[in-house]
Amino acid sequence: MLPSYYEFFNPVKILSGKNALDNLPYELEQLGAKRPIIVTDKGVIKAGLIQVVKSAFDSSGMVIGAIYDDVPPDSSSDVVNQIVAVYRENGCDAIVAVGGGSPIDTAKGVNIVLSENSDDLMKFEGADRLKAPMKPFIVIPTTAGTGSEVTLAAVIKNTAKNVKMAFASHLLFPKIAILDPRMTTTMPPHITAMTGMDALAHSMEAYTCLQKNPLSDAYATAAIKLIAQYLPKAVENGKDMEARMAMANAATMAGAAFSNSMVGMVHSLGHATGAICHIPHGLAMSIFLPFGLEYNLPKTEAMVAELLLPLGGEAEYVKVAAGQRAARTIVLVRKFQQTLFDLCGLPRTLKEAGVPKNKLEEIAKTAINDGTLSFNPEELDLNDALNVLNEAYS
Amino acid sequence: MGKKYGPIKSGVKWFKILVAKIVFFVLGRAFQSATKHDPDIKKEISVWREGFVLIMRVLPNGPRMVLEKLNGRLKYRGAKYDDGDLVISFKNIECAFLVLTPQVGAAQAFAERRMTVKGDLGNAMIFTRCLTILLGHLYPQFICRRLVKRVAPMPLKKQMIKLVINVVGIPFGL
Ligand SMILES: NC(=O)c1ccc[n+]([C@@H]2O[C@H](COP(=O)([O-])OP(=O)(O)OC[C@H]3O[C@@H](n4cnc5c(N)ncnc54)[C@H](O)[C@@H]3O)[C@@H](O)[C@H]2O)c1
Ligand SMILES: [Fe+2]
Repeated sequence: MLPSYYEFFNPVKILSGKNALDNLPYELEQLGAKRPIIVTDKGVIKAGLIQVVKSAFDSSGMVIGAIYDDVPPDSSSDVVNQIVAVYRENGCDAIVAVGGGSPIDTAKGVNIVLSENSDDLMKFEGADRLKAPMKPFIVIPTTAGTGSEVTLAAVIKNTAKNVKMAFASHLLFPKIAILDPRMTTTMPPHITAMTGMDALAHSMEAYTCLQKNPLSDAYATAAIKLIAQYLPKAVENGKDMEARMAMANAATMAGAAFSNSMVGMVHSLGHATGAICHIPHGLAMSIFLPFGLEYNLPKTEAMVAELLLPLGGEAEYVKVAAGQRAARTIVLVRKFQQTLFDLCGLPRTLKEAGVPKNKLEEIAKTAINDGTLSFNPEELDLNDALNVLNEAYS
Repeated sequence: MGKKYGPIKSGVKWFKILVAKIVFFVLGRAFQSATKHDPDIKKEISVWREGFVLIMRVLPNGPRMVLEKLNGRLKYRGAKYDDGDLVISFKNIECAFLVLTPQVGAAQAFAERRMTVKGDLGNAMIFTRCLTILLGHLYPQFICRRLVKRVAPMPLKKQMIKLVINVVGIPFGL
């Protein structure tokens, strides 16, 4: 069924494939930039990935203005301000983010402060608050999960107030995303697994949440198909270039899907759990996904049934009777979870993830105030949230 | 002489603007009264600081509803301020008309990007929950079913609150 009205926007140019990174200097020049700052984190440096980026600049005549490599897990407003200072001191004129969601979202925050020429990131919290044209911004993802390279959103922690601020604006989209399989082969199995589950959560929530539309559906189902086939392979053998390329593409498509149709309670619960217990975002996604699908089933049964085709494949889809398909999709998501547990020990429950039981109430309270909940198809009040958390606990 | 070209001024949708003004008045008064009589709404807004300003408005310069937290309650302030802590804007008068008359629920309108939010999204979620309760006080259940994701049951206590809001809250601002 077509929605009565929807909007879809995805202005990011994608360069995908072997050695895609070598085009970085050319693309920067096309954007009128000469001295980019590179924003990254210690894990990415340790994996030797900045070497690959640096060598892409060789013989280009370009100068890397500075490399900032101190982005902490989940972004923070303090770090954003530090990077802004480094950018200005070194006369940079563009931003290149190299990393997972943390460096990417941090770089988005930097772009806000620089472009709006303000020193107060908080003033721009919320939707559609940005007006100034942004600095040239290129993203090179090193995880295959958040899809932040093609989304209009950024989540940044306000260090002073200890809350997460959400930003959404069509100006926040990067200009270019470069998907080069060399950048993700170094990801260890458990990070591969959880970031991959983030992408699965994006596509499944995009397919079932309130703003779903024919364009986001197409991206979402294409992503699910790739994840089902390639995520276990990428976890099993990190050097499998085909699997890495497939996952990078899947994460990007899932990002394009959810940036337009938004996500729901799996993310509301995940954001809250992450904020309170500091478990990685992708891990929270993996744990909550089957519960979110189950909870919303009264409103979304037909959609979840359709997801059996990309998730389980044709043979499976034909074999299962129409009335059983939605339930079967959820069974397969749980099996998928189990496969990842067997491969790399990815926790299946909040208990296994080390979330203390006495935090559930606080998590529930935070979750119902998360903006993503407005796009969830079913109502979720404090009690409902607590029930789901208890189910997901063990 | 060739054909003449020149600027065309946009018209004004008087009727829809009037309706929006009236609904904002009723909603504002109802909200004010509910923060006194409905314990659930009282509890929701208890986290807002004194002086918190909430605005619902129609872009670019349409009608608006301003509520301010004073003495622990929300007070309807007409169109007093043009900026606040939480500002919910309808992108145009047609969007506002759909939601206010009420043909489309707030969650759906938000999902369809018919409104934008300025301010902390957590506060927007609190407002959405209050609105859901409030709609239950303003409309019969068969209309609410179209507007909200799940209609809460209306026990006798809630029926009484509904009566108070409609009989003294909206007409007399109590
Ligand atoms: N903006 C959005 O649309 C959006 C969507 C989802 C999540 N997020 C945010 O993204 C963040 C999570 O991002 P993430 O899951 O990509 O994790 P991350 O960026 O925090 O990275 C996780 C860890 O993996 C390491 N790492 C990354 N790539 C590596 C590689 N190739 N080899 C070796 N190590 C590598 C990093 O150093 C880090 O220690 C959260 O803050 C979340 O809120 C944003
Ligand atoms: Fe996510």
